[in-house]
Amino acid sequence: MKYLPLVWAAWMRKPARAILTLLSVTMAFMLVGLMIGMSASIDRIAAMTRSDRIYVNPRFFGANSMPLAMQHQIEGLAGVAKVIPVGEVWGWYQNEKNNVYVPFGDLRGSRAEWPVSAAQWDALKATPNGLIMSRLQSQRWNKKVGDTFTYRAPAFDKLDGTKFWSFKVLAITDDMPLNPDGYLFGNLLYFDKSRPLAQQGKVGYYEVMVADPERGTEIARAIDRTYASSGLPTRSMTDKAAFDSGMDNGINVGAVTRKISLAGLAMILFLTANGLAQSVRERFAEFAALKTIGYSDRVVMLLVFLEAALPCLAGATLGIALAAALGGQIPKICPPGWGLPVPVMAPIVYLFAGAGAAFIALASTALPAFQLRRMDIATALSGRK
Amino acid sequence: MLRQIWIVSALNFKSLKSRFWQSMVIVVGLAATIGVMLSMLSVAAGMRQAYYASGDPNRAIVVTKGVEQEGQSTIARAQAPLIAVAPGIAKDKDGKPLADRTLMTGVPLLRKDGSKGFTSMRGLSEKGPGVRPELKIVAGRMFQSGKRELIAGVGAQALFQHMQIGDKVILPDGEWPIVGIYETRSQLDGQLLGDTETLLTTLHKPAYTTMLVRLASPDSLDTFKKAMTTNPALSVDVVRHSDWYKRVGDQTTFALALLGYVVGTVMAIGALFGCLNTMYSAVASRGREIATLRALGYGALPVAVSVVLEAMLLSVVGALIGAGIAWALYDGKLDLFGNVVFHLSVSPRQIELGVTWAVVVALLGGLFPSIRAARRPVVEALRAT
Repeated sequence: MKYLPLVWAAWMRKPARAILTLLSVTMAFMLVGLMIGMSASIDRIAAMTRSDRIYVNPRFFGANSMPLAMQHQIEGLAGVAKVIPVGEVWGWYQNEKNNVYVPFGDLRGSRAEWPVSAAQWDALKATPNGLIMSRLQSQRWNKKVGDTFTYRAPAFDKLDGTKFWSFKVLAITDDMPLNPDGYLFGNLLYFDKSRPLAQQGKVGYYEVMVADPERGTEIARAIDRTYASSGLPTRSMTDKAAFDSGMDNGINVGAVTRKISLAGLAMILFLTANGLAQSVRERFAEFAALKTIGYSDRVVMLLVFLEAALPCLAGATLGIALAAALGGQIPKICPPGWGLPVPVMAPIVYLFAGAGAAFIALASTALPAFQLRRMDIATALSGRK
Repeated sequence: MLRQIWIVSALNFKSLKSRFWQSMVIVVGLAATIGVMLSMLSVAAGMRQAYYASGDPNRAIVVTKGVEQEGQSTIARAQAPLIAVAPGIAKDKDGKPLADRTLMTGVPLLRKDGSKGFTSMRGLSEKGPGVRPELKIVAGRMFQSGKRELIAGVGAQALFQHMQIGDKVILPDGEWPIVGIYETRSQLDGQLLGDTETLLTTLHKPAYTTMLVRLASPDSLDTFKKAMTTNPALSVDVVRHSDWYKRVGDQTTFALALLGYVVGTVMAIGALFGCLNTMYSAVASRGREIATLRALGYGALPVAVSVVLEAMLLSVVGALIGAGIAWALYDGKLDLFGNVVFHLSVSPRQIELGVTWAVVVALLGGLFPSIRAARRPVVEALRAT
């Protein structure tokens, strides 16, 4: 650490270059933080998905087509602990671009991990036109407790002939990483009684809790077998399977984010290696003087390495900090409905950044260090190249 | 003035070789930035093209008033004849209106990797092929109306298992064989087609999803639309098919494109700092040369412009290299996102965009160094080593 003043002096020779290099490195590591953070966030969400919750949907698409009678039938199957019917209505709020999806059901049985208190569940049960929203949703629609929330659902018929669904906001709850857009839900009875008479008694899907998570997939298949030849075949998937197949739908997030991060780091490697090589070349005579007064080759190489490592480490730290700060802003600037996960600075992010910084510092040092070893001290001292 | 700029710039470029590695920092930086950005945008651009190709300016789609998604629309059976006799619709050689009563629903399938997926299944009525002349049967034959038969798109064949001629698809009333493979060169290629009336019976659906009509001429849209919207028996929206798919395509790819631009911006800022660094170095190492030129009588402006031009040359070269790599790796490759099968696209328009970004980075990155070059006192520069 006694060498730090030397290293600092070396960097501060050209302050402009030092600052610009630092800024470049910071941007690259901010990208790394955002990318790897996003991938880590998705991995975290994947780890939280459950094998003991099954979604039973109609096999062939038809909104709200599952009869309530199915609830008792599914409850009777071996291994099933709870069956919760859920109605669904989707539409838009004020403007066609503001998509709203509301599930209606007493989900406390299947969504125990939701930060909704027993009192709030009870309040929803007692208030038919009640609605519980999470904070992100309440911010998007600018609603507080006691406000009325009305949205338009052109695709759903109502008993009163209108297309408007109106609610009173009962509570605003915390958000969860699993729902990057927030969540909201209503009362099943209200949903059912609002439908035209011919369509009452039908729900959109069922949430089924099983006693043993190991048997989740097996029981999902059993449910599908039960209804395979009926008038309403089902398609059941565990929460885990549903998430995995949803992720498959798109891009391999892990691979893409890693590739982008590596491209950014490659760009920086070139920059720092070049800057360092130039800096060493300019100060050849200086290094020669150091060698003359007795600094060993090893120490000289260490000095060069530290000169590379300083901006790398500083840039990496600043970059990750910026990524953490910016990442938190993503839900606010992202258009609604897209559910981009908030980048989380998981250990893997620090690992990636640390390894990247170390590699860049080492790789940048390679050539200059080699040149310094081979240098002819006398020639270097004289100032000739 | 221009001549001065030309001479100074030419001198500048000649001495570029002595600043080779520094200059490469700009080239590598822009190559990485534009390469990554265009690679990411190739997904959004390709998907958008697949959607745009699905719409035809000579067609109009009739949907339930207020719905934004085709799947949410319903056209009652009784309304179909009212729509078909409207003015503005093209007639086929028998004098019958080219109006297709369509159905759109989803069908669950197994993806090639074994995971559960689904795709859209559309119903075409007897005028369907007439309304969609781009539909070509590339293998097997077209399904016969009234029969329980399906045809699969080339995209669906690439995505899902059991999509060969003779394979069976499970629908509520049993297995339907695939009798042909079609191609439309649009987003439709990832779907399955069957006969509307037969599918309606099988799926117990009481109404059509939309009506798709061929317009007598692109200008007949207004006539047709007026007839539809002033008819009290109908509550529908009429949109030109190409406009409909333009909106859907833009909405679907918006977030993907945004992600590409965000990553591109972060990397561009990193490259900008690298560019600033290099240009400051370049100006410093050319200190005496610039001072001599100015002492000889060349103006400050030509000197400044030559610096910016150097930055621009390097960054455009870098951008073209990056674009070239992105094009070579990705352009034209078959890819899928959700159920849309499309070709990745690195088009001239996007390469143009990349070059524009490079020019902007060069302008910003060359501006301050060029000002410094122009303003540095000649005597001081001449004295510098």
